[in-house]
Amino acid sequence: MPPSIPVSSTESGVVAETTVLSPEASVSAQENVVAFETATKATPTRWRDFGNYLLARKTALGGLIAFLLIATIALLAPLIAPHDPLQQNLADNFKPPVWEEGGSTNYLLGTDPLGRDLLSRLIYGARYSLTISLSSVLLGTALGFAIGLVSGYFGGLTDTVLMRLGDIQLAFPFVLFAIAVLAVSPERTPAHLILVLSISSWIIYARVVRSRVLSERGKDYALAARALGASRWRVLFRYVVPNVWQIVPLIALLDLGFLVIVESLLSFISLGLSPPTPSWGTILADGRQYMMITPWMAIFPGLAIAMTVLSISLAADGLADFFDPKLVHGKFHRLPLPGPALLPTCEDDAGPLLSIRDLTTIFPTRAGSIEAVRNVSFDLAPGQVLGVVGESGSGKSTLGLSIIQLLDAPGRVAQGEIRFMGRDLARVGNTEMAAIRGAKIGMIFQDPGASLNPVLTVGAQLDETLRQHRKLRPAQARVAARQALAAVHIADPDRVLRAYPFQLSGGMQQRVMIALALASAPALLILDEPTSALDVTTQAQLLDELASLRERLGASMLFISHDIALLSGIADTIAVMYAGQICEIGPRDQVIDSPQHPYTQALLHAVERVTGPGRSRLDTIPGDPPDPTQLPTGCPFAPRCPFSMPVCVEINPAPVVTAPGHSAACHLLVPDPVGSRNGAREALV
Amino acid sequence: MTQPLLEVRDLSKHFPVRKGLLGRETAAVRAVDGVSLTLAPGETLGLVGESGCGKSTLVKTLLFLDPPTGGEIRFAGEPVTAVDAARLHRHVQIVFQDPYTSLPPRMRVAEIISDPLRIHGIGDRHSVERRVRSLMQEVGLNPERGNDYPFQFSGGQRQRIGIARALAIEPSLLLLDEAVSALDVSVQAQVLNLLRDVQERRELTYIFISHDLGVVRYMSDRIAVMYLGKIVEQGPAAELYERPLHPYTRALVSAVPSLRRRGQRIRLAGEPPKPTDPPPGCTFHPRCPMARPICSYQAPPLKEWLPGRLAACHFALEGLPPAGAIDVGKGAA
Repeated sequence: MPPSIPVSSTESGVVAETTVLSPEASVSAQENVVAFETATKATPTRWRDFGNYLLARKTALGGLIAFLLIATIALLAPLIAPHDPLQQNLADNFKPPVWEEGGSTNYLLGTDPLGRDLLSRLIYGARYSLTISLSSVLLGTALGFAIGLVSGYFGGLTDTVLMRLGDIQLAFPFVLFAIAVLAVSPERTPAHLILVLSISSWIIYARVVRSRVLSERGKDYALAARALGASRWRVLFRYVVPNVWQIVPLIALLDLGFLVIVESLLSFISLGLSPPTPSWGTILADGRQYMMITPWMAIFPGLAIAMTVLSISLAADGLADFFDPKLVHGKFHRLPLPGPALLPTCEDDAGPLLSIRDLTTIFPTRAGSIEAVRNVSFDLAPGQVLGVVGESGSGKSTLGLSIIQLLDAPGRVAQGEIRFMGRDLARVGNTEMAAIRGAKIGMIFQDPGASLNPVLTVGAQLDETLRQHRKLRPAQARVAARQALAAVHIADPDRVLRAYPFQLSGGMQQRVMIALALASAPALLILDEPTSALDVTTQAQLLDELASLRERLGASMLFISHDIALLSGIADTIAVMYAGQICEIGPRDQVIDSPQHPYTQALLHAVERVTGPGRSRLDTIPGDPPDPTQLPTGCPFAPRCPFSMPVCVEINPAPVVTAPGHSAACHLLVPDPVGSRNGAREALV
Repeated sequence: MTQPLLEVRDLSKHFPVRKGLLGRETAAVRAVDGVSLTLAPGETLGLVGESGCGKSTLVKTLLFLDPPTGGEIRFAGEPVTAVDAARLHRHVQIVFQDPYTSLPPRMRVAEIISDPLRIHGIGDRHSVERRVRSLMQEVGLNPERGNDYPFQFSGGQRQRIGIARALAIEPSLLLLDEAVSALDVSVQAQVLNLLRDVQERRELTYIFISHDLGVVRYMSDRIAVMYLGKIVEQGPAAELYERPLHPYTRALVSAVPSLRRRGQRIRLAGEPPKPTDPPPGCTFHPRCPMARPICSYQAPPLKEWLPGRLAACHFALEGLPPAGAIDVGKGAA
């Protein structure tokens, strides 16, 4: 079949892709071929990133500079050293450093018992110490990397033999091994030491690389490569290795500092380089004998070792964060908005339980602040269920986390009010918020396995919650825990109470989560995709459960989901979110039967096919959901909207009330001053 | 009838369960247990089932990524064994679920799509380049973005890259393992349309695996329902949906949240059984609302109850409304 297909025959997705084209993409065909071949245009920015990163991290920069300085000194030793490190001058022995009485500028740091210049010996010592540790690291890395790859990828007997070898080596005392090799050699050269050090360090790399290979080779992309018929070596080197090797230089850097110390240690116990070759360890050992007369002889090599190891550690630590950004953890740090938290309420019982006004939640980043939730307002009456529907990145989860004030740093509520039981949750203090969480507001997340504490039994977790929130005594708490599980229709509560979370199925775990959240009888329950990780039949069971709980307990629910059909079964009101905004909100039947916003219409249309007949083309919403870092100034749906007008690109529409309790943010709904828009309005209706 | 493209007879994949110090084999997890399928060229077979039912294992076994422990696979009439599985990889390709893990993160898109061609030694440098561009165009990607990395694309676009990679060597059978399940509804429809277009244009045969019954129904000519390693029902898509024979299929169809039909779900009792310890008799009987004594000791065979419609249930025709009586999803015109 000829593979050339004209663009026009491809589907609507092309339209979407052309909207995200960069300007340079529209060049002629010849230039395209060139563009295909140039491979390394990302490199300069990578280096600039690296520079900026270092400048922001003074300790890493300092460490790196110090280490490079030491390495330069070692490299240029013959040019820098004022004396031959081996040249003895017995007339000048035991000279103190220049600043002490009797010191001379000829020997800046003094001399040793044989009259050798200490400074020159230290400079040459750096040369030997660094050469040996660097070479050992390189050799150990190469050995460990190769063994780890083979062991992890081929598994089976190969893996068993190699890993047991490593175990034996780890069990065998290092010093014994060092003595066995070094003490019997008549002449100990750097090669001897490199051999000893690298053989003792390969196992660390091998183990880490092996476990990385194990996890990577199981991933779909490696499976896909095998399904394509790629040979094992091709899968290993072309697919697995590029995703594995990054860890190695990081461990190697940390290992380097350690090996500097070990090398000095071996020299110190006379297992290092044969005298008179200077190394920091031997200089230190020489100095120790004359500690009382000439303390500087021991202090300077000690300082050299300490400085080197410290600079390597600082640099390695900083670089690790750069190469593996996952190591940097954000801290949980909530900053309440300024202003009074107590609201002037008239204690009106008929008022809403939760009332949100103009809520905006931002995530400040280096590139600028991302508005994940934008100017959201709604009311939730007691005992009602509000369903929030949206696609990934629409801000629906952030909305839930904003209400319970559990945003991950640096996310924070930037403006607006979250009125709940007479308080403004955006402004209450941290202690009070902690008391409200759990007691008055409960939250349930998508992945129950990750939400439960894996090392505590279900019973222990329920017990703790009950005793904290309901102030029950242990015996009472046990009874209450059993009741809580029975309330979510767990057939044998006693077995579940004794079980650890991993022993329960996903559906059962989620029931436990619900029981936990309900244990303190909260007035509001926030459910973030509570059934999305479950099978359809389990999901159906759980939804029935939630519906009956709602009738019995009368708690309000904020039910977040990507599935509008699911929400239509449980919610009283449905809010549709797009790009951080509520684009439509209203009573369930109205939103589903007469959707006002083009996005809601398209969403419902996309879902219809589940119940509709097959074998026709699906109507699609062209393009992708907007990138939250680059939201358009006008209506965020305008680029994908079939009814888009010039005004949509310029002005973000405000919500328009179309029926009691039903509003939508769309220019089509604005009473139209210009006749030209009528056509589009009719098309919509 | 023309020769089937793929014939699977009694395919099994059992994983040994080892216990004790010596690792003696005490039992086996029957992840795939005696599955038989036939695929005609150009048709789409939907495969539905919940997590742990063995559908993903079946896919891996079909491709010999995990060699089967029993049964026979014939491709275009020829039996395939583990030794000549490479022949199969020339004609059968797979698209995975997760657009984030199914593409090698550190390879450029053009390399990803062209690697299959290089593996099979198809074409020279220039023809490969041309081929990559036309493939990208065919799946609705901008061919100028060949130098970009997967992370620079959205989920839907990544799935298109995965499809282009699978199409590169012009296979005749495509296994779509939850290929749209990770995508947002609005993007899902685009990719489904693309798969349809590609199928028509290239006369491809599909096995479409999903837990989402709506999507499977839209894509498939025939559907097979899996439960605990076995196929419990098989039949033409529309009929299977409107008049499901097996009580598990009935529960599955009724559990799908719907905009129009609220509340009237068939509620299954209990939990899905553990594959290490399946119940005796019919594996579904502990959860089945229709179970009778015979179900607990005698496993029902998969047999043809109605023309073209197979089910593994002793009472498949029981409570089955006459054709056209159920109004499942007629509301959406």
